[in-house]
Amino acid sequence: MRQKIYFVLALAFVVLLLSNIADAGNLNAPMQSLMSKYLKDSGGKAFSADDGKKLYFLKRMHSKKKEEISCTSCHMDDPAKAGRTPVGKPIDPLSPATNKERFADPEKVEKWFKRNCTGVFERECTPKEKGDFITFMMSLQ
Amino acid sequence: MKIEKTFLAIGILILSLMINTSVFADKDEEGERHGRHEKHEKGGRHEGEGRAIVVENAAYKSECSSCHFLYPPEFLPKRSWEALMKGSDKHFGENLALDDKTGKEILSYLTGNSAERGSSEWAGKILKSIGSSAPLRITEVPYILKEHRKIKPDVFKRKSIGSFSNCGSCHTGAAQGDYEEDSVSIPKE
Repeated sequence: MRQKIYFVLALAFVVLLLSNIADAGNLNAPMQSLMSKYLKDSGGKAFSADDGKKLYFLKRMHSKKKEEISCTSCHMDDPAKAGRTPVGKPIDPLSPATNKERFADPEKVEKWFKRNCTGVFERECTPKEKGDFITFMMSLQ
Repeated sequence: MKIEKTFLAIGILILSLMINTSVFADKDEEGERHGRHEKHEKGGRHEGEGRAIVVENAAYKSECSSCHFLYPPEFLPKRSWEALMKGSDKHFGENLALDDKTGKEILSYLTGNSAERGSSEWAGKILKSIGSSAPLRITEVPYILKEHRKIKPDVFKRKSIGSFSNCGSCHTGAAQGDYEEDSVSIPKE
């Protein structure tokens, strides 16, 4: 009986490990090296999809826009769906599950982190936050 | 039969009078606001009269159109584009994070084709309507507001329109520089 439980646990662990590797594997080489850079710049602390998720849903009052905003204001609660910019222009889905072009070009990723972190949090995001965010997005596939 | 024809003739006469009157009324109104008619014939950049420039600049397209409609550069004066690009790190609450080269390229495209240089009828009307001010929003240009005055604010909130700044939602020829009333189609939802 006990052996069986161990076996199941071990199997679950392997599956979990494999799925993590698969997630990371979905990032192309340039993106993986961007992730390595984030990791190095954030002191080597492992990224967490959960923290990325929290960041994605974090609502805050913008001091100048005078309204509560979050990533979801434009990218929706479900990032697999199309979003809308503040002026109502459609945004292609952010989730790589429905949009393979996402998180594929480091330059683009960096540009949009810079734009949108400032737009929502009124500051740039830390390397840890960026790594968490991408880890969360990649886990949605 | 003869009576019918007479009625038809009178009908056509009245109709044509009505059309003429409305055209003249519009012209008078324009005349009042902007002085007598002016023709803007500067170069042959445009396909036909009443066309704005077709936006072709790659940097402007890729950096600006993700968030909003690709406004024709001739819808704002040079001084407005200069102010906008100078403040590109504080663009209505967003940092556009443009590198120097890209920023300069966009600025030179926008100022090189601004309202002062535009040859569409709208460029001249926009310039006159703003006087010496430097509006940062095309949606606040008096001439553009005037042209849309009959559209209820709720219409712009329709899902497929989103806001007053999404010109292309109703101006179906906008991508070709066509903002004529004839090519407007307002989505119902």
